[in-house]
Amino acid sequence: MEKIISNTTNLLKNPLLITKASFNKNYIKNHLFRFYSLLSVLLLGFILLMILFFIGKTGILVFKEVSLADFFFSLNWEPYEDHYGAGVFILGTLALTTLTFLIAVPISLVMAIFSAEIAPIWLRNLVRPILDLLVGIPSIVYGYLGITILVPFIREVTGTSIGEGLLAAAIVLTIMVLPTITRISDDAISAVSQDFREASYALGSTRLQMIFKVLLPAAKQGIITGVILGMARAIGETMAVVMVIGNTAILPANLYSPTSVLTSNIVMEILNVQYDSTWNYALYMMAFLLLLISLVLIFIIRKLRVKGV
Amino acid sequence: MKKLTLLVLSFALLFGYSFGVQESTASAKTLSGKIVVAGSSALLPLTQQAAKEFKKTNHKVSISVSGSSSIAGPQSVLKGSATIGASDWDATKPVPGFKAFEGLVAHKIAVIPFATIVHKDNKVKNLTTKQLQDIYTGKIKNWKDVGGDDQEIVVVTRSVGSGTRVNYIEKALNGVDINDKSSNVVKAGKSGEMVTKVQENKYAIGYVDLPYVKGNIKAVDFNGVAATVENIKNGKYGIWGYGYLLTKGQPKAADKAFIEFIQSAKFQKNTAAKLKFIPLSEMK
Amino acid sequence: MRESLFHQHRKKNTLALIGDKVWTALFWAGSLLIIFLIGCLLFLILGKGLKLMTLDFLIDLPDEIEAGGGIGPFLFNSIYVLVLSLSIAIPMGIGAGIYLAEYAPRNRFTELVRTCVEGLASVPSIVIGLFGYVLFVEYFDVGLTVLGASISLAILNLPILTRVTEEAISMVPQELREASLALGATKAQTIVRVVLPSALNGILTGISLTACRAFGESAVILLAGGSSTSGFMWDFNLLSQGGTLPVHLWYIQSEALVEDAKEIADKSAAVMVLTILFLSFIIRLPIWIRERRFNR
Repeated sequence: MEKIISNTTNLLKNPLLITKASFNKNYIKNHLFRFYSLLSVLLLGFILLMILFFIGKTGILVFKEVSLADFFFSLNWEPYEDHYGAGVFILGTLALTTLTFLIAVPISLVMAIFSAEIAPIWLRNLVRPILDLLVGIPSIVYGYLGITILVPFIREVTGTSIGEGLLAAAIVLTIMVLPTITRISDDAISAVSQDFREASYALGSTRLQMIFKVLLPAAKQGIITGVILGMARAIGETMAVVMVIGNTAILPANLYSPTSVLTSNIVMEILNVQYDSTWNYALYMMAFLLLLISLVLIFIIRKLRVKGV
Repeated sequence: MKKLTLLVLSFALLFGYSFGVQESTASAKTLSGKIVVAGSSALLPLTQQAAKEFKKTNHKVSISVSGSSSIAGPQSVLKGSATIGASDWDATKPVPGFKAFEGLVAHKIAVIPFATIVHKDNKVKNLTTKQLQDIYTGKIKNWKDVGGDDQEIVVVTRSVGSGTRVNYIEKALNGVDINDKSSNVVKAGKSGEMVTKVQENKYAIGYVDLPYVKGNIKAVDFNGVAATVENIKNGKYGIWGYGYLLTKGQPKAADKAFIEFIQSAKFQKNTAAKLKFIPLSEMK
Repeated sequence: MRESLFHQHRKKNTLALIGDKVWTALFWAGSLLIIFLIGCLLFLILGKGLKLMTLDFLIDLPDEIEAGGGIGPFLFNSIYVLVLSLSIAIPMGIGAGIYLAEYAPRNRFTELVRTCVEGLASVPSIVIGLFGYVLFVEYFDVGLTVLGASISLAILNLPILTRVTEEAISMVPQELREASLALGATKAQTIVRVVLPSALNGILTGISLTACRAFGESAVILLAGGSSTSGFMWDFNLLSQGGTLPVHLWYIQSEALVEDAKEIADKSAAVMVLTILFLSFIIRLPIWIRERRFNR
């Protein structure tokens, strides 16, 4: 802030400082900068295309041996017997993502609103770094705590003999995406102009009314971004999920019996297959599918957003 | 503009690439070479320790050791991205699920003992081949059918392609494949994870390399024979396999020296034994 | 009997006030519960590891046989790979964020690009790892390297940085830009000297989030960087194997036979948490310093 003011006052003091030479230089610099930022953004798009190309190129080979309908709708995954039905994994991924969404989003929003509006400053200054810490804890640690603490706990509560499954995975994922959603929403809520709050209070609303009717709508954009990034992480999370989901290629009977999702199956099997086998291609296709699911989700959310705003 | 990006990217990569080539040719001249070991992660403790000790006497050899899976070892050697592949089975011969790799030479480097494991509190002490087959194919689902508590058996297994699984099916289950699509089956990614899962579940059964058996898990007798190193040496206990290093054709120069170093009596007696592999010389 | 307008209003108001109190209490309770759980989690991780921690552990070479090995090369690689990947991702991510927030015209092309960025942000880490593997191991044939790990990690970070930068920049009030432009600054000057500094808070949050996440990432590194290191300290060679601390932790938990494997795992986890604490502190330092100067 201070720097901006000093810069602008400098310009104010010497408006005639802008000579022709420096104008030209500035002109070039101005365009170079624009070019640079355009280049960065194009590179990003290019990387996505490259990823789609490289993964898709290998994945598409699976359809030489397996029919489209079989791959997407068959629930029979027995690669060593030439059955390549990825239906279980696709359904598993969708179910796990939905369940995580239902648990994680309300909790994260409560935390975000609390830390942005309700918590006293000292607590806020404590909560934010702690959440950052959570982001950086390696997924393996979460997975390990998942098997040693969470799964036995679920076994105890539900009385089943296994305990690994969608519920355990969703809870682990919730802890993992909580900081992402919370931090970004928190920033978005804090960034809402103070005028809004004051105007709302002046009209006689309570803090709660102000939060729900003024702050949240105003910060909607940022909150959606946080949720997207969080769910993206949940869909793609591998190392923690693989430890608590059970990895059995069957549809689960309930929330706490073993099943499998796309990521966990890829990481379980990718190292164990021969490079030029249909099995390997099928795993690449699953990775490609994971990409497509994420892209479609993003697309849907973007459409919703355009309508909503 | 995309072209430019591509150009910049490829330059950056080219730089890295040429750097790598220079290095390997430079080291080849000094007759030291570069060894790249890839493959089985179960053999990783052995190969990694061997690399560390080998480097002490051969300063100019650069060794890179990585572990992914038994099947990746022979494949990387054939592709040329590794000079030595590590595998838990003899990849020059076909095993259930995988064909033989042609053009490779296998070198035995150690004996890996395996064991059937259960939780320490489980009452079951002994399981026969038949019982194990029935448990792993899903015919027996309750511990009371094999002399334990009236509780559902939770079967923990490894995924297809795991060296431990290949050996276990061959030696303990007599070639009967594991049914891993039953609702009482859970899959573990690696041996350590298998141990954790069995430790945490009183009614789980699994299989690992013998050295992992400690703490809250115990090894079950197999057909009445205890899973001990002694019983393997005298031929009574049958669940074990050789660990192999594979090379494309006969190994040369540094690769040869490295394999011979691992097979040497000194390394086998000291290091391999300390890592709880069984030295080759002690098998009859 | 009809209540007067005043009474109606008052009744509604009291209800709202009670609702407000109740909800506030709920927010407090919910959040404190979560904070408590997080605290337990951190205590669990740090408590187990810190008891046994020594300085040697951080710089010693790992040992496969004897207990008492360290994590030196892995810790070094972690930091090395992180710095490399951030030095690729930060300039580009911020550049792309600036373009989207400041330059991008409202048209189809921009929509496409924005979808690409969000799409890239949602690419699962395992897919990026596979991509890194295909690109560096199969296509360029350099094997598992620090270089491959860094670039793959940068790809993971890029879209998140871009998104957060864009978000932070679009939060900067329009008046600031207009004032700067009116004073004769070019657009580039306005962005670099006015917009970026005011958006710094948000951008640093983004960098700190990505840095912490990248530090703990394992799937990408495992596939593109490998599970080992060159085996000695201070190895800056870009083509050495790029195993980092999280991957080592994975290895220790899944394969290692060494006696004190569990201890090493506990200590490594604690080291990681501490490093992340340190990282987010360092990255946030500029904000705090600025705030203090400003407040004075």
